[in-house]
Amino acid sequence: MRSAASSATIPEIDATQAPRADHCRQRRFAYFHINVIAKGRRFGRHIVMVNWANFVSQVFNGLALGALLALISSGLTIIYGTLGVLNLAHGAMFMLGGYAGYVAYTYTGSFIVAVAAGSLFVALVGILMERIIIRHFYDRPHEDQLLVTFGLGIVFVELARLVFGSQSQIVPAPPLFAGITSLGFMFYPTYRLAVVGIIAVALTVLFVVLYRTRIGMIVRAGIEDSVMVDALGINVYRVFMIVFGIGAMAAGFAGIVNAPVVSLTPGIGDDILVQTFVVVVIGGVGSFPGAVLGGLIAGEIISITSMFNPGYAYVMLFAAMTVVLVVRPYGLLGTKGRE
Amino acid sequence: MPKRRRYLIEMFTAAGLIVAPFILPHLGFAPNTVNRILVWGLFGIGFDILFGYCGLLSFGQSAFFGTGGFVAAYLLTRAGFPNVLLALVIGMIAAAAVSYLVGLVALRRTGIYFAMITVAIAEVFFFVEFNPLSAFTGGENGLPGVPMPSFNLGFATLRFSDGWSLYQFLAVCYFIGIVIALRIVRSPVGAILSAIRDNPLRAQAIGHNIHGYKLAAFVIAAAYAGFAGGLLGVLQAFMPPDAFTFETSGQLVMQTAIGGIGTLFGPLLGAAVWLFLQDFLQSALNLGAAWKLVLGTVFVLLVTFLRRGLIGGLKDLYELVAHPKKPAEPTEAASLSDFSAAAGSDAAAMVPHKRAADRGSGPILQASGLSKQYGGLRANSDINFTVNHGELRGIIGPNGAGKSTFFKMLTCEIPPTSGKILFEGRDITGKSVTDVCQLGLTKSYQVNQLFTELTVRQNLTVAVLADLRGKFRLDLFRDPESIPGLKEQVEQTLQLVRLAGRPDTKVSDLAYGEKRRLEIGLALATSPSLLLLDEPLAGMSPQERQETVKLLKSIGQGRTMIVIDHDMDALFELAERVTVLQEGRVLVEGTPDEIKANPAVQEAYLGGVLE
Amino acid sequence: MSLLEVSGLNAYYGDSHILFDVAMRVERHEVVALLGRNGAGKSTTLKSLMGVVTPKTGKVVLDGIDLAGAKSHVIARAGMQLVPEDRRIFGSLSVEENIILAGLTASGKWPLERIYDMFPRLKERRSSSGTDLSGGEQQMLAIARALVRDPKIILLDEPFEGLAPVIVRDLVHACRELAAAGQTIVLVEQNLAATLALASRLYIINNGHIVHEGPAGEIKAQPEILQRYLGV
Repeated sequence: MRSAASSATIPEIDATQAPRADHCRQRRFAYFHINVIAKGRRFGRHIVMVNWANFVSQVFNGLALGALLALISSGLTIIYGTLGVLNLAHGAMFMLGGYAGYVAYTYTGSFIVAVAAGSLFVALVGILMERIIIRHFYDRPHEDQLLVTFGLGIVFVELARLVFGSQSQIVPAPPLFAGITSLGFMFYPTYRLAVVGIIAVALTVLFVVLYRTRIGMIVRAGIEDSVMVDALGINVYRVFMIVFGIGAMAAGFAGIVNAPVVSLTPGIGDDILVQTFVVVVIGGVGSFPGAVLGGLIAGEIISITSMFNPGYAYVMLFAAMTVVLVVRPYGLLGTKGRE
Repeated sequence: MPKRRRYLIEMFTAAGLIVAPFILPHLGFAPNTVNRILVWGLFGIGFDILFGYCGLLSFGQSAFFGTGGFVAAYLLTRAGFPNVLLALVIGMIAAAAVSYLVGLVALRRTGIYFAMITVAIAEVFFFVEFNPLSAFTGGENGLPGVPMPSFNLGFATLRFSDGWSLYQFLAVCYFIGIVIALRIVRSPVGAILSAIRDNPLRAQAIGHNIHGYKLAAFVIAAAYAGFAGGLLGVLQAFMPPDAFTFETSGQLVMQTAIGGIGTLFGPLLGAAVWLFLQDFLQSALNLGAAWKLVLGTVFVLLVTFLRRGLIGGLKDLYELVAHPKKPAEPTEAASLSDFSAAAGSDAAAMVPHKRAADRGSGPILQASGLSKQYGGLRANSDINFTVNHGELRGIIGPNGAGKSTFFKMLTCEIPPTSGKILFEGRDITGKSVTDVCQLGLTKSYQVNQLFTELTVRQNLTVAVLADLRGKFRLDLFRDPESIPGLKEQVEQTLQLVRLAGRPDTKVSDLAYGEKRRLEIGLALATSPSLLLLDEPLAGMSPQERQETVKLLKSIGQGRTMIVIDHDMDALFELAERVTVLQEGRVLVEGTPDEIKANPAVQEAYLGGVLE
Repeated sequence: MSLLEVSGLNAYYGDSHILFDVAMRVERHEVVALLGRNGAGKSTTLKSLMGVVTPKTGKVVLDGIDLAGAKSHVIARAGMQLVPEDRRIFGSLSVEENIILAGLTASGKWPLERIYDMFPRLKERRSSSGTDLSGGEQQMLAIARALVRDPKIILLDEPFEGLAPVIVRDLVHACRELAAAGQTIVLVEQNLAATLALASRLYIINNGHIVHEGPAGEIKAQPEILQRYLGV
């Protein structure tokens, strides 16, 4: 059962639990008069007390969430850009990364091994999925591709549920990053800070791979014109397989890295999937920079809206997506081509 | 369909529904399960119309299922509304209204983007239901206390309670739902939806407002969902919040795929399989929570191997058993024999023109100053082009002449950068392809753009429907037989393109030459005053070319046509006048002989090699 | 044994029959031209040779190996290379990346410097992205991509189309050098003058059928053939 208020990956604010909270908090208050304006008429004035620490904390949460979404969405977008397949099992791959890492952690006690295991396991799942099933769907209509990846997503989730049960599992943060850090005006869980850093590193690695390596060159060319890549002697089908593996791995890596922040349940990937879609639509299909930009935007929208009313976070996200669709149908950084 | 077999499906459904309570318990179905199956079945009818018939895969139907359900439940519980049936109807209307607004946004995109948007819609509705509107919806507790329906008939009161009693109410609802759906699917709108699924661009080009029809399908699906949602509340005496979840949408999609997409009964069968297996796997085989894993795997296998679900599989099996010999691949000889038959009926088999245009004289089409620029590239420059009534004009030009760009501007597929186009005296510059086709200007394509899953007759019917009904009409319940002139116009077009021998063959079973003739037939069926033909001879063998030239000549009688083709011999045989384009401009115009003798034209093609 | 022997080639787009029993041969070090009007099937022929379009029937024998029906990357590795008519440069890659990518799976490569010697313009623009190139530069890059693989045979699909005469002259000159160095080329063109400057032998294709074969030099003396199949 999902509870709406805590979408599994929206980090919570901890500023209120800081030991020296009282006088710190009271120092910084701001009163915002929000004029609710619609259709040119003022509907009223609401006074919202925004604690600066609160605000900064939420902006930072948004950054953390945004980075996470950027990484996962990058995986989805390069798969879609290269293969033309929208992987509805992508959320499940995020989940599988978490569980694979959890298993590795229980056997070795090492967080690093857990991260490696999680990423590699999901990469393997992705490669197998492409080889065994997706490959046969390239000639079939898009709807069939959606149906089969959707079904596979369900199968993965149910397999996880079968093996691990529905109760949540915990992967503790590595000792290096455990605890709380003081940022001067507020306190913040150390691991959450670390996550931003870790994912930034991962995104950089992905960037380097895409823009500075041979395989990255092939992938970028493949997104543009896979027929020509084949005509230049490169086996595109192998490229497709590798791209699927990389895209899946991005999701799996995010899954295990995010595991200490939330508790692992089989359904953890469902929310992520929806958010990822919105990010891809906003950023533009097939565009890695678009996924990063879209992810950060989405993360901040969710986070800042949650500050006022958590229930509206998704509504705002959807509204943003609608605006982008109307104004720039191919996304902020996308190009015409794929539909 | 012959009259006596007309209501066969409805009768079988009624019979099945009546008989079910006596048979199903012996198969292990509890009455509550059967009731749930009916609710999901009804939910799915609308979805099947949207996805199976119109081709729009939506993962967001839970939004409307929940909306209808909660509106009805709210009315019946907190608002104290007395009449259950009326509350259900109001819920349905609410769902339909909401879907109209949502559809305006969601239907801006198709395929994968559309699916993604519907996923987001489902999530948004769930969250809105949970938080901001939780005062109305009970938040995570839902709305308990939904009453059972009862009808005061004056002399007696029919009260439905649990189990088989409620079954009667639900069965009637389902039956009505199926009857309506069958009616819709058989109506002109249903035929157009199928065409949109197969080839939306062509449906648009022959004069249908596809956006309107898609929106109609979307709203219909939501209406079914809304009513079914209300029924769920009645069935459980409680409206659960998980009606809004993405899982609900997903379950609907999977059930429909398992049962059979595009069959209307697929969702019912899929729900039966799903709910039965859920009970069976959990209790009998003691698999616990793994039932969903089994169902998910079954779903993946079915999507991969049995594309049209269980019903599709049964149909295929039936075909295999009942008609073991598959008809041989249509040979060229067989298709050409169509030409030798009924050759004399050419002049008589003309499609009647609603427009008197071709009795007229003077110019039918006038393009002036037509230019098209793409960034730095000038595809067409300042073209002046006039065609008179009844003319058969050819357009030729060497590579880079801009012929196809020019053609696309004439049909308004692309807007000109500058210039004007007058058709029958009317300015059509900047209009849409659909409007221009309705005015009487249409094109047949170089690469066949047919409705591949439909038969020849169905293809032509869709085109004629646009001609007779205009670009949008919501005649959901109309019997196509009752449309005056429909049959005749289809028949005449069949005769005209020599396909009267195989009207009920699926397009995918036609030979290439026959497909090409159907391609021309689709354009003809809209009874155009001006017919553009884009490379009608593309991909044909020498023999087919000869026959097609004959066909085009006969079609050309009494019609105005403009033809582009690379087959010079054929084109010069066909055309009365030829326009030569070079590098985006008109080089020269004249009769075929004049063009052949013109040194400038030879130079354009041969690049000044001949001295 | 000819370097390339094509026989009985039938190709379709869907079920649209485009090529009817096309046959041709190319000897080592030859430049052979395939002429025809628009829509005659010239491009489709090259695409069928390269496996971009899979021929339904027929043989494409390169150096003794039948490649008909093989995937494009296999054909490329066997030594046949297509320079497509719309060039198909990777806009998201730089000039140099385009060339490097092309050479990744080649067994015997042209070194980068040799390519740049041949096309100094490309050296100047080596880090520009594909989208920033002019038409002529894109064509040079497309040819360079084929050359870097040191192919046995290059298929040029309308390389001079849409280019300014002065660029065409430069390109013809470059192709002439290649031919003189022994490169086997199949040239598909509508520009007759450029063709006659390069090719020693030519085929003419009309409505998907090969209708003429002969030495390039003789065609000028046969204006009726030219007019019939290439003119109006």
